[in-house]
Amino acid sequence: MEDRLTLSNKFKMLTYALMAVGVVSFALGFVFDAERTWANYLLNNYYFVSLAIGAAFFAAIQYITQSGWSAMFKRVPEAMVAYLPFAAVFFLILYFGMHSVFEWTHHEVVSHDHILQHKSPYLNVPFFFARIIVFFAAWIILSKVLRKFSLKEDEVGGMLYFEKSEFYSKIFIFVLAFSFSLFSVDMLMSLEPHWFSTMFAGKSFMAGVLHASSIIALIVIILSKQGKFPLLNHSHLHDFTRYIFMSSIVWGYFNFAEFMLIWYGNIPEETSWFVHRWHGVYKILFFANIVINWAIPFLVLMPRKSSRSKLFMIPVIILLIIGQYTELYYIIWPATVHEAKFGLLEIGTFLGYAGLFSWVVGTTLTKASLVPKNHPYLEESIQHHF
Amino acid sequence: MSKKYILGVFDDEATLVDAFEKLKDKGVMPVEVYTPYPVHEILEGMPIKTRITHAAFFYGLFAALGILGFLTYAAVIDWPLRYGGKPFNAFPSFIVVTIVATILAITLLTLFTFSARAKVFPGKKAEIFHERATDDKFVMVFDEEGIANESESLKAILTEHGKIE
Repeated sequence: MEDRLTLSNKFKMLTYALMAVGVVSFALGFVFDAERTWANYLLNNYYFVSLAIGAAFFAAIQYITQSGWSAMFKRVPEAMVAYLPFAAVFFLILYFGMHSVFEWTHHEVVSHDHILQHKSPYLNVPFFFARIIVFFAAWIILSKVLRKFSLKEDEVGGMLYFEKSEFYSKIFIFVLAFSFSLFSVDMLMSLEPHWFSTMFAGKSFMAGVLHASSIIALIVIILSKQGKFPLLNHSHLHDFTRYIFMSSIVWGYFNFAEFMLIWYGNIPEETSWFVHRWHGVYKILFFANIVINWAIPFLVLMPRKSSRSKLFMIPVIILLIIGQYTELYYIIWPATVHEAKFGLLEIGTFLGYAGLFSWVVGTTLTKASLVPKNHPYLEESIQHHF
Repeated sequence: MSKKYILGVFDDEATLVDAFEKLKDKGVMPVEVYTPYPVHEILEGMPIKTRITHAAFFYGLFAALGILGFLTYAAVIDWPLRYGGKPFNAFPSFIVVTIVATILAITLLTLFTFSARAKVFPGKKAEIFHERATDDKFVMVFDEEGIANESESLKAILTEHGKIE
């Protein structure tokens, strides 16, 4: 079944146009408000890296659990993971904007602050970038290895590459659990270096899984509207919804647990983060996050009928795309920009990244047969029905 | 028991499903099918649709609202007590209790609903149609009254695929 995706010129032009919008808004942003532009830069980088990591996690879990249903769609998470090398470059460029977003990079601030001095063996610029390089190297190497196995399997067949993939997936999720936790602490929690929360890494990781699985479902739905995946049926959609539903509940649980314990414990160094965000727009965003990322997916996707229909899934997924943005905005803005500014700069940069991300996903999808061949569980995936 | 039943006993899934489909075309439906494991075609084919999920959802909804209401009444209206520097309406701390108690309420209420609908109660004498129905046999149960005019063709199909008892 050789079924390659070809990108239409319209799609390519659209992604180039979006990238151009992104570049222009960055350029103008640096002219008018450099600090806010760097905050945007960090937010969008983190946003799309969390999607790529979530997709990598999704793909790895499918191997480890030997899931049959998803065998047909495994090219989609693989294509999303292909964004990682781009993200690596972007995160290294963050070096030039360090001082705008990370308070702990200022020597004069650290020298007057005992807590930051105490944390400085971990939070210092060289070690920070060493971590970025190590994490991205590990992620890129492991994901390339898995991708290579997956392509080899198309040619050779048999169980060999499946078993190899399963083994490397096991390594990958351990690496991910450790490295992405530290990564989210570096990128988001260290924006307010005095504050700490042990739930934070788990919550960020779950947010990545939640939004990545919804984007995977969205890409599959879009491709099926284009006539690809003719064998997609309601049972597959139901399984995608289960991932969204499950991770949405876990995210809601982590988010609430973090807030509830801090609220109940009422210790000043912990509550400061929330007190900082308990006014104006941020207070609205606090509740909006819970509604968008948990309440609405939970209620809408609960009945069997709606969890099997594209009609209900698409609006929820679009809402979740906004949900990840509002969550990151809620975390990053009070620490960096302080005022809740939102305008063309934010929209433009987000569109730019979205264009790049879709371009990467699109071109990676064209490089291999859209439906994998010789996957041991392919037949099960095609027959999937419950 | 005064009611008369016709049983079809089958050795494997394929013959059961085959007979089931043929009878379905004729409009003859078994009242119950016993299988050692869930058989997909039977689940889809039987004209029984459960409404217990809807019941469970509304139990959950009312339980959650009721428990939240009770906690608010107890801690805010009836006996306001200030502890730990918290406001009377310590809403976040109510949620954990609500989640746990809602799960308990849903479990018990759906269990009771199911038992009432299935007419199961402690100490009930088991209705056993065929002594190997809970073992490795596939058993279809037909109500003789409901299919009086079709019983000949039913018996023919059943003997063709398995056996009647």
